[in-house]
Amino acid sequence: MTDNSPVDVKLRALLADVLGLGEARAAALTADSGLFGELPEFDSMAVATVLTEMEDRLGILIDDDEIDGEIFETYGNLLAFSQRKVTG
Amino acid sequence: MTEHQLRIAPARTPRATVLIVPPLFEEANRTRRTLVIAMRALAEDGFAALLPDLPGQNESLVPLVDVDLARWRDAVAEVAAGIEGPVIVASVRGGALVDDQPKAAGWWRLAPVGGSSLLRTLMRARVSADREAGIDSTIEILHERARTAPLLLAGNMLSPAMIEQLAAAEARPVEPLRSIGMGADGIAGTPLWLRAEPGEDAAMAAAIAADIAAWSKTCGIN
Repeated sequence: MTDNSPVDVKLRALLADVLGLGEARAAALTADSGLFGELPEFDSMAVATVLTEMEDRLGILIDDDEIDGEIFETYGNLLAFSQRKVTG
Repeated sequence: MTEHQLRIAPARTPRATVLIVPPLFEEANRTRRTLVIAMRALAEDGFAALLPDLPGQNESLVPLVDVDLARWRDAVAEVAAGIEGPVIVASVRGGALVDDQPKAAGWWRLAPVGGSSLLRTLMRARVSADREAGIDSTIEILHERARTAPLLLAGNMLSPAMIEQLAAAEARPVEPLRSIGMGADGIAGTPLWLRAEPGEDAAMAAAIAADIAAWSKTCGIN
């Protein structure tokens, strides 16, 4: 699921920016990597920042109702959600 | 009430004063240290650099709920009016929403952002916190409530006027303006204002100072 697609690349860069992961940690994220609840930096403000940046950088609109806990459980889930939104 | 200002200046008469209009809300904290490092570099280059507290922000005694963008715009203009000699206004992110009123030799904006984008993130943080606490919440509900009463958004108590102004605010046209982003075509570094945990970036600070200095030359500052 992590596939070096444009969405994958943008999403890693975005998480690196918001969570201060650094390039190495961002590049090491796999589909199973835990996000919310696993990375201490990933609090509710970070979630909000990630959503707004996803809209800006991926050119999508995200509705509140589309967001559930599962999306932020793993990197793979977040990427799959982003791919779905981009291909619309 | 007079707000604190951080001023870093060279020993001799400055070439100009760079008035830094900081990002808004939490983004100000995340960028402050890097901006202050940039101010030191500017002072070494012969500029005075001035970073004022906006009313209701940083060390200000004014309650945030009592201010709005119109008041911040006035506050920035008032600070500028008190500066002797030429002024370059350098604003970062949401600072660009309130930087247009002073008389200045030039403007420099780093990654200017619309108020609606800032507001959306704040609203989302509130929705997310509400839901974790088991409270039914949506951005629509919050917008509705904000029409008549102040709203606590990610620790910021914002008045109905502030929320209404933020929702519509865009950086206003100014001249001459250099607007610059981050990355290959802009300032090298990472957008520290997004960072969940504050960081600092000395190289980015040096790039900011150098870019402002170069732009001020274009604006007639020697």
